[in-house]
Amino acid sequence: MISIARVALIQVLRRKTYWVLLGLGLAQFIMFWSVIYALTQLQLPDQVKQNILREFGFSAQMDEQRDNGYMVFMERQSVVVMILLAFSGSLLVGSDFRQRTLPFYLSRRIAKRHYIAGKLLAVSSLILFLTVIPALALFVEYGAFTSGLTYWRDNWRILVAVLAYGGVLCLVNSVWLVSLSAYLQRAAPIAIIWSSLLIMPGRLGEYLWKASDNEYWRLLDPWRDMRLIGQLFFGKFRKDFDRGLAWWGLLLISAITIVAFIALVRRVRAVDVVE
Amino acid sequence: MCKPSSNQTKWKVLSLVLLDLQNLSRHFGQVQALREVTLRLETGTIGLVGNNGAGKSTLLKILLGLLPPSSGSGTILGCDIRQTGLKLRGRIGYMPEAAATVPLLKGVEYVALSGDLYGMPFRDARRRAHEVLNYVGLGELRYRRLDEYSAGNLQRLKLAAALVHDPELLLLDEPTNGLDPAGRLSMLRLLEDLIAETGKSLILCTHLLKDVERMCTQVVVLHQGTIAKSGPIEEMTRAAENRYEVHWRDASSDFLSRFRSSGGTVLHQSELSEALVALPETWQAKQLFELAAQCGTVITRLREDDDDLERLFMRLTAKETKGTQD
Repeated sequence: MISIARVALIQVLRRKTYWVLLGLGLAQFIMFWSVIYALTQLQLPDQVKQNILREFGFSAQMDEQRDNGYMVFMERQSVVVMILLAFSGSLLVGSDFRQRTLPFYLSRRIAKRHYIAGKLLAVSSLILFLTVIPALALFVEYGAFTSGLTYWRDNWRILVAVLAYGGVLCLVNSVWLVSLSAYLQRAAPIAIIWSSLLIMPGRLGEYLWKASDNEYWRLLDPWRDMRLIGQLFFGKFRKDFDRGLAWWGLLLISAITIVAFIALVRRVRAVDVVE
Repeated sequence: MCKPSSNQTKWKVLSLVLLDLQNLSRHFGQVQALREVTLRLETGTIGLVGNNGAGKSTLLKILLGLLPPSSGSGTILGCDIRQTGLKLRGRIGYMPEAAATVPLLKGVEYVALSGDLYGMPFRDARRRAHEVLNYVGLGELRYRRLDEYSAGNLQRLKLAAALVHDPELLLLDEPTNGLDPAGRLSMLRLLEDLIAETGKSLILCTHLLKDVERMCTQVVVLHQGTIAKSGPIEEMTRAAENRYEVHWRDASSDFLSRFRSSGGTVLHQSELSEALVALPETWQAKQLFELAAQCGTVITRLREDDDDLERLFMRLTAKETKGTQD
């Protein structure tokens, strides 16, 4: 399982275009790192600080009214993640089906479950590197620049929320992407369908919401659902109504993920039946 | 347990038996890929031949434990094929027919990955990858990416990936597929050397019967999911002695019926005026000419049936097809 994940990551890191996306993720991290540095280390006028906070919607405390900064960071990073995943599904999974590499894997001393777990781990690692790990680095940075142990101790829930939200992003996105790639296999269809899945239902949900004034239609947007689940972990909602929606979102995302996983298990097999 | 638990003698006896299948069948929905296959083969080099759809790949996948049989039972290397899939694969090296490459990987990484997947520790897999790549003649190319390998070198690379964990048995699916004559020859030489040096058992699944004749001592001919014939190649081709392919004119004569009544056998008659015949033991070719003259028949062509595997295969599969149609 580990070797499959390691090889998959080597494949991604060998493609130069992916470095551009990884660079974008890094740039965003540096920006947030700089914001924390500016807010905590530089003697800036209050007005400037307020402007920065407003611009980034940033709060590093659990009990403040503003959005949690770590959550905002992870949300923004997930845009980069989605683009990266849209283009890496074909390389990581689709090529195994196109070039009939599955029998190569499955004729070795591994079972189907090892293959699937390896691929999910690879995709999860990409998401982890771009969201959870830099968010944790920001958490460490903020504590180190402010009150150190006291900050980390008082805000341990942020740590848990980052890990939990990151876990949801990793699990959901990896299962969805690997399943989609196993069926579509080629880069263009995967990228188109992946993007459409994350954009079109959202647009439709928003239209139906406005037309019927029923907020539940917004659950059609899987990206927003994941955001709501994140807000559930961070304990902060932009609207009170969102708290109820978040549980429905969790239910919906879980159901889709289970269906996608079953479809993936059915798709991965060493033998193609030729009639 | 995979290994036999009884005494040493039993182990020795079992170790000679490479595979032993009893009434093995496999169907995919309505399609019957294998029917009641019963087969016992000893260790050595075995050719598995058959037309497209004959059931070769299905049999290979069952032997690898990738596919359970629908019914029947069997052992391979002394292991039950129904129960020991993962353990069994550790003792078998499989080279798939398809490209089966991993994009952007280097040759040595691909072979090391194969070792990893066979359960070798990472360092050992890496070290062995270098060794087997040298052995198959890809030492210089080991750091090239897979998409830079030629078809011939890719086949060698896949062989290296199958050899990396030093298996007891090699299952090679069309190893010379898509190679030019020089590449094919080079691959066969490599395999010959490998078998001679290591004494590994080999199951060679191919359409190229010349390859089987050259490489293997035993052959299994699969046709429409059943075993059309199996056994040592030498025995099969030896049985061809005293057989002739005969063409004649004047088909209205009773040439063939008189030939039969003289003790000859008509093995296969493809046209009205041509047949494959086996002469009676005491006969020579001139007696066939004499018989033809008595019948007023002119033999236009007489050719000793130097029965190679290809002709045997054609006859077996043609006969079987005719039988099925009848």
